[in-house]
This record gives sequence, structure tokens and C-alpha cells, in this order.
Amino acid sequence: MLQRAFQYVRGYLRIRVAGYGTERFLNACRHRGIKLWDMKPCGDSYEMSISISGFRRIRPIVRKTGTKAVIVSRVGLPFFLYSYRKRKLFFVGAAACLLFIFALSRFIWSIDIRGNLARTDETLLEFLESRDVKNGMRISDINCGQIVKDIRKEYNDIIWVSASVEGTRLIVQIKENQDAIQARSSGEEGMEGEGFTDPVDIVADKDCVITDIITRKGVPMVKEGAQVKEGDILVSGQVPVNNDAGETVSYHYQESDADITGQASIEYLDSQSLSYEEKKRYDIKRMEYYVRIADFRFCFAGIRNEYEHFEQYSREEQVKLFDNFYLPIYFGSRWAIPYEPEEKAYKQEEYQRLLSGRFFQYCEDLEKKGVEIIENDVKIYRGKESAEAKGILTVAMPVGTKKPSALAELPEDGAEGQTGEEDGNDGNGD
Amino acid sequence: MALFMNSLKHRIAEASGLPKDVLLGQPILTVLGCMEVGIENYRGIIEYTDDLVRLQTKAGQIRIAGKALHIEYYTNDDMKVTGHITSIEYQ
Repeated sequence: MLQRAFQYVRGYLRIRVAGYGTERFLNACRHRGIKLWDMKPCGDSYEMSISISGFRRIRPIVRKTGTKAVIVSRVGLPFFLYSYRKRKLFFVGAAACLLFIFALSRFIWSIDIRGNLARTDETLLEFLESRDVKNGMRISDINCGQIVKDIRKEYNDIIWVSASVEGTRLIVQIKENQDAIQARSSGEEGMEGEGFTDPVDIVADKDCVITDIITRKGVPMVKEGAQVKEGDILVSGQVPVNNDAGETVSYHYQESDADITGQASIEYLDSQSLSYEEKKRYDIKRMEYYVRIADFRFCFAGIRNEYEHFEQYSREEQVKLFDNFYLPIYFGSRWAIPYEPEEKAYKQEEYQRLLSGRFFQYCEDLEKKGVEIIENDVKIYRGKESAEAKGILTVAMPVGTKKPSALAELPEDGAEGQTGEEDGNDGNGD
Repeated sequence: MALFMNSLKHRIAEASGLPKDVLLGQPILTVLGCMEVGIENYRGIIEYTDDLVRLQTKAGQIRIAGKALHIEYYTNDDMKVTGHITSIEYQ
């Protein structure tokens, strides 16, 4: 295939050789290193392909072997260009096209973000845009190292970033820390990266009865069976340091760490409207095709219609020359399907199934978070316009959220004694 | 005498372990099914028609018979014949 392309670019001739010593002609060509290909017998003669330079060298062979070589056809780019040599605008257009493509290849036309699960492409693209990294910027202005640094600095849960430019595409590959995502969702936001030099308490995040507490770091402030209210300190991050007299002379600061389980009641409420809108689609589809260059859109046909309600869909694809040579040209289509909305009411078993399904899903989600359901009295009640599933769930769940500790004041005596001692030491040192 | 020289060359090739095609100048035929044959170490074409290609080699003539025979390329080093090949004979 590649060889064919080269042959086309360099140009070649299709010749017919006739005469008495045609085989001699072939052997003489071989002997002089003239390549022949696509050879086939054609009656008493042979037809074959020969390069332009090879054809210039066959005159003595033809004379010597007493054969006659006739050009059947000329194939290739040199002949194509020669035949259109008078069409100057064609060459101007071709040159302009090449120049245009060359100019476009100096800019970024696509940003591809890979490996993101917790954050959408749009969020990351918006962030990159805020750092002046966007489609249409010059490739030479891109600083991949800076992009990597910016993303790592902005998002703590992104643990690895790679940015590279391939063709006209900026590829940003990221790897997220799955553990950090869970930690974030369980309300520990803002605790990372602060150095942990300040004490951090664990406080109750809801009213409950403590059923189990295992402390790894910090001082437990509650015991099993204790009734706590939201905001109560469960584990203190300030570990008192006592002197021989049992007086607190200082505090050792720590980030508290403990597994605390508490029994709590959770109110559950979910409602479902008894009516819903069903779309009765017409068998009509209005199509619109368009070409978009940057913000300019050239449309063919249209999706305008006289119907009050219609669904609209769209699809768009970016033009690319090779795998990574994207151009700022998009092809797309939009289509509209009109419909008539129809008001319908759910039957009893339907709304019951919907509410129960959602409740079971809620219970499953709770169990995934380590919550154990002890008692459940959720029931479905039907109202005039809506049905409700409500009740109270008694659960055993992990409680406690981390919170910076309010620094406790040292007892005055101890503080003074400590200061005096320090002064004394300073004095001795001097 | 020629037979003796050939035998000697053959023995030298065997003893030295050098490729025989280089030392003896024997043709190499690479046949792909019945549709393609590549030939190296040949001297020239004696006859070429739609159903016969006769080649001269150092070891004698090779006769490739078939239908719609087509020489894909023909260079100083090797050539390739395609088509429906029915027989290859040494003469």
C-alpha cells in the first residue's frame, strides 16, 4: 500500500513492448537495474509499469533488442499536476489549504481528560480555563508542568496527574484517590493537608446513645451507654500532661482517632406524586444538520415546528485528520420529536412499588456506609395528591466527625510555675 | 569434470556451513499455495505467456505453468509470479 503511494507520488508509466526479442528486453532491463512491475502478456507484446527515470534509460535497450516501446498511460502526481498546470487557482487553493492546516496545527483544539470518576470533564475544563488553558490557545504557550502542579494543588484527592500534547490535543490523565472520596463523603472535608499540629476532636454529629467506643488516639470523653447530643465532644484531641502532683501542666495535641458506634433514630420521609405525565410521541422527526466552526454554525434544514412540546436531541463530532490532529470544525445533527403530554395516575401497586424500591435502595446505601438497621417502622400513607413513605429507623451507626479542638486553658498555677521555670532556666543559661 | 566441480562445491558448502544458495548460486523458490511464487537467484526470462513462465537459472531451466500468470515485479534480485499455478518443473 505504502509502496503504491510512493509510486503514485513519483509517477510512473504504463508501457507496451512489442517485437522479436521482448524477453531479451526484459532481461536487459533487469541487468541494468531498471525495475519493472505489474507485467502481463498482451497478445504478442507485454504491458508493464516502469518508473519515469527507468523509461529514460530504455532507449539503447530498445534499439539493441529490436523492440518497440509505446506509452499506454501516464500515472501519478507529476502527470496530474502537469495536466492541471494552467489552473492557477487550484494551486493557490491547495497551497492555502496546506498553509491553513499548518497554521491550525499550532493551536490546541481538543482537551481530553481521562481517568476522572469523581469529577466531571466540565468541572476540570472550567478549572483549566480559569488557569488560561483552553481550546484555541497556542501549543507553544502550554506549560504541561504548570498544569500538573495547578491540578494537584487545587484537588487533594487527585493523586497523580500527567499532561501531554499530542498533535493538536492536550491529554490530561489523572488518577483519583478512591479512599479520599469516601472520606470526603463521610464529612471529613477540610481536615487533610493541614499538618495536624493543632488538636482535632471527634464530636457527635447527631443525638445518639453510645454503644461502643474504641479509642486509638486522644482521650475518650464518653463511655458506653452515654446519651450524647449533637456537638458533644466524644474524643478530645488534647491529652493532658500531669505532673507528680496530678496537676495538668500542659497538653499534648493530637488528631483524635476512634471507632465509635451509636444507636440513633433516623426519620425517613419520601413522597411520590400520584399523577405523572406520559409523553405520547408523534411519528414525526425534524432533522437539522450543521457544520460548526468555532461559534459560527451553518445549518441545513431546521428543527422548527409548530408543536408546543417536543424533545430535542443532538449529536456532534469534531473533525480530525489523524488520531490526534483535531481541527476546530464540528459536524453535527439535531432532531426534534414532538409529543403530546398526557396526565396519568399511578395505581396503588405502582406507587407502592416505587416508594418501596426507593426505601430499599436507601437502606442498602445505609448498609454500605456501615449502618446497621435495628428497627424499622416505615409505612406508606396515601394522601390526596401524593403518597408518602414515612417512619423512624432505629440504627446502629458510626458516629463522630472530626473538628478542630477549642484550646483548653492551662491552670494558672501550673502555667505560672512553668513560665517561672523557663525564666529561671534562661537566667541560668545567661 | 563439471560433475566433479559441482560435487566439490557441494562438499565445501557442507563443510563450511555457508548458505548453499550463496555458494552454489542455486535458485530459491518461495511458493505460497498455488497462487504465488517468489524466485531468487535466476538469470533471466526465456519465455513468458499467460500460462507459462520459463526461467533460466544456474541449475537449469524452471518451468512454471498455470493460468493468468502475472509478473508482479521483476528486478535484478528477485521476481514474483502470481496467478493460478498448476506446476513447477525443473528441466
